Amino acid sequence: MSEEKNVVSRRSVLKGAAIGGAALATGSALSAESASAATRLKGSTVKWTTRGGGATGDKIAKAVNDAFTKKTGAKVVAQQVNSDDFQNNFAQILQGSPDDAFGWMAGYRSNHFGELGLLADLTREIGHLKSTLPTAAIKGSTSPVTKKPYILPTTYYPWALHYRKSMVKDLGMNPESINNWDDFVKLMTLTQKKGLVGYSLGAKGGWEAMGTFDILNARVNGYKYHIDLLNGRAKWTDARTKETFKYFAQLIPFMNTNFMDISWDGMRDLLLQKKTGAMMMGSWFANDFKAKSQADYDDLWVVPFPQINPKFGRDTIDAPLDGISVAANGKNVSGGKALAEFWASPEGITEAVKAGDTNIYVSKSFDTSSYDAFNKQKLAVLASASNIMFFLDRDARGDFAGPVVGPAIQSFLQKPSDINKILENVQAQWDALPKN
Amino acid sequence: MSTGVVQNEQYRNSQKRKDFYISIFIGFFAFVWIFPILWTVWTSLRPYNDIISYGIFSWPRHITLVNYFNAIREMHIGVYLMNSLMVTVPSVILTLFFGSLVAFVVTRYKFKFNLGLLLLFTAGNMLPIVLTYIPVFWMFIWVGELFGNRNLLYNNYGGLILVHVGFQVGFATFVLSSYMKTIPKEISESATIDGANVFRHYWNVILPLLRPALAALSVLMTTWIYNEFFWALVLMSDDSKRPITSALRRLQGQYVTDFNLLAAGAIIAASPTVIMFFVLRKQFIAGLTLGSTKG
Repeated sequence: MSEEKNVVSRRSVLKGAAIGGAALATGSALSAESASAATRLKGSTVKWTTRGGGATGDKIAKAVNDAFTKKTGAKVVAQQVNSDDFQNNFAQILQGSPDDAFGWMAGYRSNHFGELGLLADLTREIGHLKSTLPTAAIKGSTSPVTKKPYILPTTYYPWALHYRKSMVKDLGMNPESINNWDDFVKLMTLTQKKGLVGYSLGAKGGWEAMGTFDILNARVNGYKYHIDLLNGRAKWTDARTKETFKYFAQLIPFMNTNFMDISWDGMRDLLLQKKTGAMMMGSWFANDFKAKSQADYDDLWVVPFPQINPKFGRDTIDAPLDGISVAANGKNVSGGKALAEFWASPEGITEAVKAGDTNIYVSKSFDTSSYDAFNKQKLAVLASASNIMFFLDRDARGDFAGPVVGPAIQSFLQKPSDINKILENVQAQWDALPKN
Repeated sequence: MSTGVVQNEQYRNSQKRKDFYISIFIGFFAFVWIFPILWTVWTSLRPYNDIISYGIFSWPRHITLVNYFNAIREMHIGVYLMNSLMVTVPSVILTLFFGSLVAFVVTRYKFKFNLGLLLLFTAGNMLPIVLTYIPVFWMFIWVGELFGNRNLLYNNYGGLILVHVGFQVGFATFVLSSYMKTIPKEISESATIDGANVFRHYWNVILPLLRPALAALSVLMTTWIYNEFFWALVLMSDDSKRPITSALRRLQGQYVTDFNLLAAGAIIAASPTVIMFFVLRKQFIAGLTLGSTKG
């Protein structure tokens, strides 16, 4: 026995030595690499993929990539793909012949592929950008398993409570002070009394209602419990999880009955047509208000979801973080890394914004002085939270969030009294997942 | 005599009534059938703003063709139509060539695996092709690696054409062999007596007789392959190499989808097949019933 142990330890020592040696070798190569990187970059071709965005997306990509070419002399071949298709085929794309760098999502969606060795380790690049990035963004881009970043964080947006200021005023309430659960229930009750929908929710795609669950759980049980729950360190059958669903059940009488038929755009239309009091959603739809009229846009407001448990206040927010990842399988990995770093750097951001990018960047260099009232409020909502969740389908593993939690929330909304059975089922499915 | 006339009239009247009900019945289903297309056309003529402000079922405030202009501009229609052409034409020609070869051998010659071979090709039709996605993907990668070029088949027109040929040749074989069975054996016998070798027998004797079947099948195949989206999506990593169906996906945003623009794009993308259908509708209908009388 002891001999066996000795062998193991000797082996691990050897292994350690080998790794140390390799690290030393890369360490010494590093300075040489950065010196020669610029020369190697010049004249090489880097391939770039934009995920959706239409004509504006192409325009932004062209502006940033052209600036990169101007700076480094490397040619960029860019393409735009449909966002859903890219997402659904991501595993195959990465294992085939992927483009070198592309826009992607932080959280499980990058960590998982990074841990499999399909996304390149961006430790060095994130090191270069360290001074411009908030620590929360760096933490959010780093895999908790390998402690390595597989994405360079660029933009994010808040999931928060949206309503129309004019409608809240008509109810005799102050649109600036919907602070706690009682205010919120009062808002919904008064709206419903007018024959409108108190709280609009869509659940057609299975993911829309996750936003409401995320924030309720964080408000009732706190950020830590929520993240623990999504990663198997807390139980779905726990009384605390059930407490969250008790609050969720309180919302159902205020909701539109056709929640299984509408997605986020159906929710947006309810608010746009003044048929609902409030809704929990990502702020990306605000441009549609602007497209209708400036008055509608000015009327739109966003606030943090009301407080439920005073212990946690309003300290947490869902703010999905996007960024740039580099394929480990690409033809020009070092070129991809350089391009990714450029996109996430202050220089790249300036180019993107100049070309019409309306996203909020996490970078400290990002200039928000020209923001309108709604966008400033978005920033304030983001800044008010000290804990950032990335949304359920990025905080939890992919084979659990979409296939298990989504349908579970849908069945809960259809039959809230079944909640115990539903949660037992969710926990059983979590337990049945292959662990690695 | 007179009773006969009355009966005749009664008969004619009841026939008329029957026709009337049948017309209503057919009319109703024709309307159900055409409704989505009409709705798409209707949607494509309305601006996005109208829909989000007043809802889909609202009375239109504006009617405009602007969606069509935008769709053509944003879809880069020339590039993608060319791609569709580059995939569809070789695929159809190769499918018909290989399909007719197999059909020729299994129907004109008698040997041990004759029936088995035909069954194999026909049974291939039953397989849901989507299930083969991962194996096909890895096969493409591995074959590519074998020759030192990952993109030999994957992300290459050649690979996409190969997949289309592979999955369509079964149906082509099935249809062409049924048709070939209707060609009298005596023709083959006299060809053999005249000293035609196997290939000559196929090329100069059977193939010309197959012409109607080939025409019908090629119309059908063109429509199918042109409309195919799945393989192009998963086996082409460069969007610029994908067919027109992919260009439509460009019109869908990450969050916001302008369905009016999308409707206009869909009509533009569908128009080549629709035009082809009207030009060649005789062959098309012949293709649908091909081999249904003898099998």
